[in-house]
Amino acid sequence: MAQFWQQIVGGLAAGGIYSTLALALVLIHRATGIVNFAQGEMGMFSTFIAWSLIENHGMEYWLGFALVLLISFAGGAGIYGAVIRPLQRGGELAIVIATIALLILLNGLAGWIWTPEVKAFESPFPHSLITIGDVVISWQDVGTIIVSFACVLVVFLFFRLTRTGRPMRASALRPRTSRLMGIRVTLMLAVGWGLAAALSAVAGMMAAPVLALEPNFMLPVLVYAFAAAVLGGIDGPVGAVIGSYILGVGISLLSTYVNYITVAPELQLPVALAILLVILLFRPSGLFGRTVVRRV
Amino acid sequence: MPLLELEDVEARYGPIKALHGIALTVDEGQMVSLLGANGAGKTTTLRAISGIVRKSGKLQFAGKPLPRAADAIARLGIAHVPEGREIYGEMTVWENILVGSSFRRDRREARRDCEEVLEHFPRIKDRRRQQAGTLSGGEQQMLALARALVARPKLLLLDEPSLGLAPTVVSAFYEVVTRLNAETGLTVLIVEQNASIALDVTERAYVLEVGRVALEGSSDELKEHERVRSSYLGY
Repeated sequence: MAQFWQQIVGGLAAGGIYSTLALALVLIHRATGIVNFAQGEMGMFSTFIAWSLIENHGMEYWLGFALVLLISFAGGAGIYGAVIRPLQRGGELAIVIATIALLILLNGLAGWIWTPEVKAFESPFPHSLITIGDVVISWQDVGTIIVSFACVLVVFLFFRLTRTGRPMRASALRPRTSRLMGIRVTLMLAVGWGLAAALSAVAGMMAAPVLALEPNFMLPVLVYAFAAAVLGGIDGPVGAVIGSYILGVGISLLSTYVNYITVAPELQLPVALAILLVILLFRPSGLFGRTVVRRV
Repeated sequence: MPLLELEDVEARYGPIKALHGIALTVDEGQMVSLLGANGAGKTTTLRAISGIVRKSGKLQFAGKPLPRAADAIARLGIAHVPEGREIYGEMTVWENILVGSSFRRDRREARRDCEEVLEHFPRIKDRRRQQAGTLSGGEQQMLALARALVARPKLLLLDEPSLGLAPTVVSAFYEVVTRLNAETGLTVLIVEQNASIALDVTERAYVLEVGRVALEGSSDELKEHERVRSSYLGY
């Protein structure tokens, strides 16, 4: 039983990481109508900047964390302005291809700047363990759950409570009509890309201590986040977050209790992809996806 | 005093020219209609004014040339209720109205305007928490109007508000518009297929044919005009 609870906590920590990246994917999907294949690499690049600031220049962890969020926000908004917006006239396919180009570009650039060698990225959380009864869990997992959940919550509150959230949603739903309403649509969408970039930076910084930092380390995380977003419904932020936790816990339990996967951990990623395929085949709007009711 | 002046306005969609030099004037406090067949350029004229189509020529609002960006034009006080209403179906009725005032800096006043505008529309006031996509066509049209009004426009552009609505709903809609014009002096430019109702509610009218102004005059004059009667009124 102890093992079960340990696996649940570990799964929730993984789910928390997926949820930040999945939420970033949903934000972009709603704002621009496409899947951003470079979202993981944007997080990877941000994490390298964090490594550079914290490990190389000795900056205090949380100061570096906050600074990287700001840099990522500016970078995401900049990518929207410089690459995505000029391509919007060319249609969705052009933008999707641009995100793939961005993926390759950021991956190559990171390898060139920081070398492809694996780097150790220290965890900001204590190395000690927490023991509750006979259940032993790590601070790393608990801290990851708290930080990722807090970031997701901040984004939700931003959309629900601030004056910027509503016109941002409006700009995503109907850009032209929103312009007629005096809304600075370009600025709103740039903020959306900025928020998504900051969220993927959180995913990267939380994943790096566990996965070890190198230019390809976010690729599997991106696949999990895709699967989670599709599982919960790529159109709904709440669904994507719940989907992330289900996927995190599900894979954690599967890899403990299903012999094939315990023996071969390399099957974990294919399992996530299988889930993605099954959902796309049988419930394309996701477990929590809703169909919008329209009357004409 | 003219609030809106267009002179020699041309507009195109890619290589296709939709307006071939339009000239029109809307005085402050006036209600003016823009009539014409499908493809005559009525909608394009409104889009040229609100800045969502490429255009050239002289466009002046309150004596000054209009800015280029659509959002800047809207912030000057031109509210465009587009064809097909274009409400945010996934948001609630109340959120739709709040979006309409979201650019305003006078937060408190804007909020009060949102509350007050609902008084004009009892049908949608009762449904403010409902998802806007579930409203009927008439209610959606009312919502689109309410959403435009909370921007406190000086000029209201209405594009085919009667399209697809029952006659009683259409007259209820125009009753609200006429009342706003009478009470607050709101200037209104209406594009309509339904020429008879448009000529009834407006003082002046323009008839467009293939991207040009073919006729203009007071609504009463145009009602008697042979060509308007046979082509647009049908008697």
